[in-house]
Amino acid sequence: MNLSMHNRERLAGWLFVTPFCVSLFVFFLYALGRTLIFSFQSYDLFNDPVWVGLRNYLSLLTDPLFTLAFRHSMAFAIIVTALQTVLALLLALAANRKVRGQSVFRTIFYFPSILSSAAMTLIFIWVFQRRGIINQGLTWLSAHVGLLLIFCAVVALVMLVLFLNGRRRYDWVRWYDPFHFACALAIALVVAVICAGYGIGVRSVEAVSITWMNTRQVWGPLPRTLWAIVVMNIFTTIPTLMLLYLAGLQSIPDSLYEAAKLEGASPWQRLRFITWPRLMPVTFTVVTLGIIGTLQMFDQVALLGDAAPLQSRITLAFYTYYNAFPPGGTPRIGMASAAALILALVTLVMVLLQRWVGVSETTND
Amino acid sequence: MKIKTSLIAGLALCASPVFAEDVVRVSGWGGDNIVVVNTLLNEVLADELAEAGIRASYEPVEGDFAQNITNALSAGTAPDIFYVDSFWGYPLFASGRIATVSEANQAVADDIIPALNEAFTYNGDLKGIAKDFNTLAVQFNKDIFDDAGVDYLSSDDDWYDFRSKLQAIQAELDDVDGLCVVPDYARFAAFALATGWTPINEDGHTVLDDDFREAFEFYTSLVEEGAGVLAADIGQDWTGGCLGNEYTAVSIEGAWMVGFLRDQAPSMEYDTVHIPRHPGTGERGNLVFTVSWSVAADSDVSESAHKLVELLTSPKAQQWVLESGLALPSREALGDNPYFEQDDREAHMSRVVFEGASDGHVEPFAFGSYGESWKSIMDEALGAVLLNERTVDQAIAEAQASYDRLTGR
Repeated sequence: MNLSMHNRERLAGWLFVTPFCVSLFVFFLYALGRTLIFSFQSYDLFNDPVWVGLRNYLSLLTDPLFTLAFRHSMAFAIIVTALQTVLALLLALAANRKVRGQSVFRTIFYFPSILSSAAMTLIFIWVFQRRGIINQGLTWLSAHVGLLLIFCAVVALVMLVLFLNGRRRYDWVRWYDPFHFACALAIALVVAVICAGYGIGVRSVEAVSITWMNTRQVWGPLPRTLWAIVVMNIFTTIPTLMLLYLAGLQSIPDSLYEAAKLEGASPWQRLRFITWPRLMPVTFTVVTLGIIGTLQMFDQVALLGDAAPLQSRITLAFYTYYNAFPPGGTPRIGMASAAALILALVTLVMVLLQRWVGVSETTND
Repeated sequence: MKIKTSLIAGLALCASPVFAEDVVRVSGWGGDNIVVVNTLLNEVLADELAEAGIRASYEPVEGDFAQNITNALSAGTAPDIFYVDSFWGYPLFASGRIATVSEANQAVADDIIPALNEAFTYNGDLKGIAKDFNTLAVQFNKDIFDDAGVDYLSSDDDWYDFRSKLQAIQAELDDVDGLCVVPDYARFAAFALATGWTPINEDGHTVLDDDFREAFEFYTSLVEEGAGVLAADIGQDWTGGCLGNEYTAVSIEGAWMVGFLRDQAPSMEYDTVHIPRHPGTGERGNLVFTVSWSVAADSDVSESAHKLVELLTSPKAQQWVLESGLALPSREALGDNPYFEQDDREAHMSRVVFEGASDGHVEPFAFGSYGESWKSIMDEALGAVLLNERTVDQAIAEAQASYDRLTGR
């Protein structure tokens, strides 16, 4: 049988998309359909499902654990997405500067991303222990706050003296001259060491013993436990987002910056009117990935396990899993399915909302 | 002629018992357990299995065993016999996917410690035969007691004797605390149950009554009373870790401490006593941690599977397990085994833990259909008081409200 070129191309096209279509059907459409049906049923994996209408959704609304998980997920998504987007941009701007050893800095910046989530969580559990590095650092800061103030005061004073002295001879001397800053740091360091030797600015304090993990304390919109996960999540996600911004930065033509410089634009104006609008498609990607990733955050919470109370770490994704496979309890697949669909809906609404507030996939200039 | 002979030989082979064997799929944890079960099946019980015409195939599961078995039972792909932990067994028993212990094995069940059978009984039906178990006991470092000049702990101690000895150690030694206190019902239960309090009463409800409050106050005040330290404050998360690292003088753990101390502190001079008695009732409280061999209800080789359970829990198999120091046997009669009478700290710990299953108010470590949801309420109440985030009154009131919501009281 001889196929015409047109038909051969059509056949090849279908063959190429078939694997994707099969996986889309099996793992998305079919799974979505089953989840939707389960959400209207009472099902424990063993007995036949029983149709219960909207009872699962109504049960979710009256379950305090669900409302808590919902609140946590929303706050977590907004806080982490905002912080990681800003920090990733700043890091990309720093990594994009043409300095010696640029590739080394980029590798160091990217390093946290290649560590496994499980390993990072275990490290962070250790770091956030009552006698962990965070509390030890806070204890040190609390004991040396006077010394730090002395250090900062000496830096400021030396820079002021050098600036005023320089201005007497040269008009172009800037107050933030790097050489003056280096000198001020060196002098302040010597002064701080001498003060520490005499015990000036150092006080004895009780060891800070903040319970980060195994606590029900709440700070603002999140429990303290989830704040610790905020730090961990940002630390591990920023490098990947930084790479996206870095690629975006390198696609902006230098000619735009050169023209702006000729027009007398300040660094801030160049960032505000060239870099930021040109990076808008990247920002859209970064924010979208951030929202989806943070709303579906599961592994770090699951790995915490008994290290923290359920109420201090529960999120929507974990709530879904917790209902599907409650440790030692009867599976509640209907409730889990309803929660999973609400999570999907919330994710969709959040992504649409970000477009509504102006973060879109088109260049905004 | 040659062809004819070969044909006859072949037919004879096909008809031999080798080809009449039932293959029974067996599943349990992975890790070290693989060697233990395979040795049991292929060496210790090899003759009995051959005689019964059973070939056992062990399929270890690494990772979350409970989830794996739940999915397999739901999908109809479960092995023929497998472990069921009393903690997560209830939903599986309720599902009807686990067979009731066969008539033939009722005699085996009669020889098992009653508290263990209770852990696997659902609606009056026994759903598995306990393969081994653990309870809680108090392990203590004799050198620390000697250094502090404090009398050793005794199995006759009540709560206050226990506490005053720990207070004396803490007062005497600068760098050692009495006990690591953990916000975990799996340790607190040793005190709560001693009062006669019942975690889930006959109506299916949890009532945090005055008996409970007495134990709750005693346990959560151990740190404040100078008898203990919060485990998290010294970078630990279990009482055994505190003892093994010599941060504390005592731990409240099971016989799993034998292996742990052998590795962590091989030169430590330690001994083991029973859980302290309630000062009023004179009774002890304890939890039974146990795992059964259960048979899938839809097993194709049901008869052989039940037979294999009988062999795996036979006196011969359990004797081997006990003498290997791997676990405590579930057969009551093995309490008289000479192994327990050895003048050896490990054997002594095993004996005390073995006796714990039949001494005082003993409950299985299981919470019906609630599972972890029940335990987490208790753990959170303990944690909130130990971290000074709630008073005893507040914590109990909040926990009671949570239990009422959970159990529909």
